[in-house]
Amino acid sequence: MLADQPLLDLGWIGAHAGDIALRTLQHLGLGAMALAVGFAVAFALAMMAAGRPRLLAPLITGAGVVYTIPSLALFAALVPFTGLSLLTAEIPLVLYTQLVLIRGISAGFAAAPPEVLEAADGLGYTRRQRFLAVELPIAIPLIVAAVRLASVSTIGLVMVVTLIGNNFGGLGLYIKEGIASFFPTKVYVGAALSVSLALASDFALARLERRLAPWAESHRDVQPGASAALAGLDPIGA
Amino acid sequence: MSAVATGTPTRAAAGITLEHVTRRYGAGPGGRIAVDDLSLEIPAGQVCVLVGPSGCGKTTTLKMINRLIAPTSGRVLIDGVDAASRHLVDLRRSIGYVIQHVGLFPHLTVAENVATVPRLLGWSPARQRERTDELLALVGLDPAVDRDRYPARLSGGERQRVGVARALAADPPVLLMDEPFGAVDPIVRARLQDEFLRLQEGLARTIVFVTHDIDEAIKVGDCIAVLGVGGRLAQFGSPAEILAAPASDFVARFVGADRGLKRLSLRLVGDLDLRAASEVRPLPPMAPMLDRSTSLKDALSMLLDAGVQAGAVVDDAGAVTGLVTIDMIAASLRRSAEGAPDAG
Repeated sequence: MLADQPLLDLGWIGAHAGDIALRTLQHLGLGAMALAVGFAVAFALAMMAAGRPRLLAPLITGAGVVYTIPSLALFAALVPFTGLSLLTAEIPLVLYTQLVLIRGISAGFAAAPPEVLEAADGLGYTRRQRFLAVELPIAIPLIVAAVRLASVSTIGLVMVVTLIGNNFGGLGLYIKEGIASFFPTKVYVGAALSVSLALASDFALARLERRLAPWAESHRDVQPGASAALAGLDPIGA
Repeated sequence: MSAVATGTPTRAAAGITLEHVTRRYGAGPGGRIAVDDLSLEIPAGQVCVLVGPSGCGKTTTLKMINRLIAPTSGRVLIDGVDAASRHLVDLRRSIGYVIQHVGLFPHLTVAENVATVPRLLGWSPARQRERTDELLALVGLDPAVDRDRYPARLSGGERQRVGVARALAADPPVLLMDEPFGAVDPIVRARLQDEFLRLQEGLARTIVFVTHDIDEAIKVGDCIAVLGVGGRLAQFGSPAEILAAPASDFVARFVGADRGLKRLSLRLVGDLDLRAASEVRPLPPMAPMLDRSTSLKDALSMLLDAGVQAGAVVDDAGAVTGLVTIDMIAASLRRSAEGAPDAG
């Protein structure tokens, strides 16, 4: 960095507002896509493993092993197979959501107390009605908590997508460009917006949980941003 | 009780018959018998208590009635119809079910919990709402205040009440209650038992009630089935019969050495042939005042406590109408022992 550069060049920010907005949206889109696909996959796997600990344990172990692969290495390792395509960007993002999501969704499915299930059976719910009307709603707080955690870490990880090329956009580009051209404003703008996106999505999901599970008193004390703080401790988000 | 009147049944209660019902877990010598060749005839409209130590198969027996557990052999008939021949979900929706930990749905409000079976049966929302408010009032809750609360915000006693209301929602002819008052403190339990008895007076459902507490069994039961370890029926009879003439050492031990006192708890001062008020001499100043609805057990305790032989029976206005003595109480116990069918 050059000594005579200001840390934050407000003029540059004003002149590039449109570009900043575009990259922010690209960033959000990459993260949202990974989260949506990751959620669908994890939900299906967790449903398959519901009530089958012998299936669930290896699934979580597998997702845990994937989680330990450094993100830089995983993106790079996929390039020979999927080239510089969107798939190369999304596959690692989706894979990294799996540990948190499978664990959270499975815990949600197991959250209904045995006496609640017994009452449901005794009162005449069918298996299907019991799942849809009892087990699934009771799972919501834990599922949403997992999605909040996954969303925060995914938004951080989207930064790394920049490594496989510039064509997907995203806030990571500002970091890359800022470092390459010794222009700190770009680095700060990219970082600040990424953090803001993570906090905003965490906040929005917390609101959603309150809408979906107004009964869940115990989750009221988890403040928006709490999962952002947790994800900060997470090795791959760093 | 006007609240009870609103719960007047629209369906007749049904009798329950258990025919040689056995439930075995695991085959061969390693297997365990939970319920062993149990035959019972539970008359319609009565409260039948299954009582016994843990592991005697009382809960297993209960769950074979709504087929949460299938009998290994034998039949359960409800109103003469083999339960095994009924469509499973229909059968369960026609039987009220209350369990110890209640199992209220935490994600549903009190009203939604109570309306569970009506909802499953497809009642209109208006009818569900009407029935829910009626039932909440019946079990002593305030529909206006309580209907939209979530279970997490209720006290233990309120949860039990909601559980009972939920079981009664579709007016089932049969009610199964598995230690329904087991998870609340003794004071609340006694109040819930009293409310339960008052409720049943108006409803006259056929109720199978599981407890390990012989005092509760004596208090709420019209008939009692004492089960022993290994799921064998040790004795079946009215509370008075079982207390007066235990069929075995096991039953005698189970009902307790104080079964004489327990028998006194079943009878009231008003049941005695009171000595006429005209015979009442000036009573000692310490003589306790009793009313006709005092149990003989409480009456005896009050006399012993006061250190006197006789107490005055007073009416609602406080006027002395008769005299009760310790001798009269003891004599009533002798007479009821002779009068009990199983005595001898």
